[in-house]
Amino acid sequence: MASSVSAVKLVVDGKRMDGRSAEELRPLRIETGVLHEADGSSFVEWGGNKIICGVYGPRECIPRFEASPYRALVKCRYMMSPFASLDEHSRSGPSRRSTELSKVIREVFENLVLAEKFPNTQIDIYLDVLQADGGTRTASITAAAVALANAGIPMKDMVSAVAVGKADGQLMLDLGKEEDNFGQSDTPIAFSARNKDILLLQMDGLLTKEELMSVVDMAERASVKIHAMQADSLKRHYEEPGTKRFRM
Amino acid sequence: MTNRKIILPGEKIADGRVRVPGSFSEGEATFASVVGMLDEEGRFIPLEKRYRPAVDDTVIGMVTDARHAGYDVELNLPNAGFIPARDIRLKLELGDFVVCKVREVSEVGDVDLGEVRRLPKGKIVEFPPAKVPRLIGKKLSMITLLKENVGDILVGNNGYVWISEKANVPLAINAIKMIDEGAHFPGLTDRIAALFGKERIVGQTVEPTGE
Repeated sequence: MASSVSAVKLVVDGKRMDGRSAEELRPLRIETGVLHEADGSSFVEWGGNKIICGVYGPRECIPRFEASPYRALVKCRYMMSPFASLDEHSRSGPSRRSTELSKVIREVFENLVLAEKFPNTQIDIYLDVLQADGGTRTASITAAAVALANAGIPMKDMVSAVAVGKADGQLMLDLGKEEDNFGQSDTPIAFSARNKDILLLQMDGLLTKEELMSVVDMAERASVKIHAMQADSLKRHYEEPGTKRFRM
Repeated sequence: MTNRKIILPGEKIADGRVRVPGSFSEGEATFASVVGMLDEEGRFIPLEKRYRPAVDDTVIGMVTDARHAGYDVELNLPNAGFIPARDIRLKLELGDFVVCKVREVSEVGDVDLGEVRRLPKGKIVEFPPAKVPRLIGKKLSMITLLKENVGDILVGNNGYVWISEKANVPLAINAIKMIDEGAHFPGLTDRIAALFGKERIVGQTVEPTGE
């Protein structure tokens, strides 16, 4: 996605295309418990991203030969809707991209869920991207953490994720679609809330060592803010009875 | 709700290693593993919980398979519970509702059941296992209130609630829904009493009616 031609002006007078400063998040809204049938669910609206997450389990492991007598399997299915983004995503079904994202998201939660408590079972995380606007994997991780908490699946920690990148030669937090597509680098990072463990770090494009270090610092500072919003969403859900209705 | 604090997974709930449901210990501290509530005395109350079977739990379920060796019972668990046929004289059929005691839980979570009783015709509704103590109430106050006003009703630790066919099923479901939504707010029993158009006398003691 990194483009060698940087003819596009993405930063003008220190402001980004959508008027944000370098270290500013896009508007983020998190709702908890939005689905009736899932054991736990959440909805995240992050800039132009709209992602709904449903969690099931622990339930019977299918196929059975995959089941482990030592721990629950965490399974994740990330999927983009046909109408989520460009035409290239419009054919539904698994793609190279969605398989990769499902894998990296699964690995984040394999490190968090106390799976040893539920042998011979599986935990399913379903993520549906209704609308994509850059940074869907980080928004998906943020959504899935809330949904898992809502489902009552024991976890060691909460997790929040954000992408930091370089566009127009400048480091910036929470890349939008254009900044991602026409920038030099995109680095999504997931931090656990308590231990500050890095559970996901991918780097697209190139960064120097020093740049990468400040990228990690920026992501860590932002993850604290995102975690606060996850906490706020869960608190709202549990403190106010009957506020389960939600509007998209 | 004023002095209570919502706790998220990973938040510290106590210094030192303490064994509390819905928590885990790491180093010299104990952390929440599920969403819960910390009350004034520092007690941790889980708000969400998956049912984990324990010996002597009363569970309600539906017979899903009848084999020579025994019966499979759906219990709101990943795997069906099992009633060994040699332990019971009762002849069960598919779709029968039963109430039983958990006799044994294997290390991979398979459940053996005993003390089986077949339930008359009725309906089973799901209820969050974390809120079951609220549905029963202190000294059985809530369940007694329900029984008095809607008819025969039975609660399993696994979160299945059986309502007799002869009971006022819609009213019962309504009340159960109210208990679910308001489980962790004070004055719940009074509000449920109000639903039945009755005023509960404060300080009234309810004699436990054992099953």
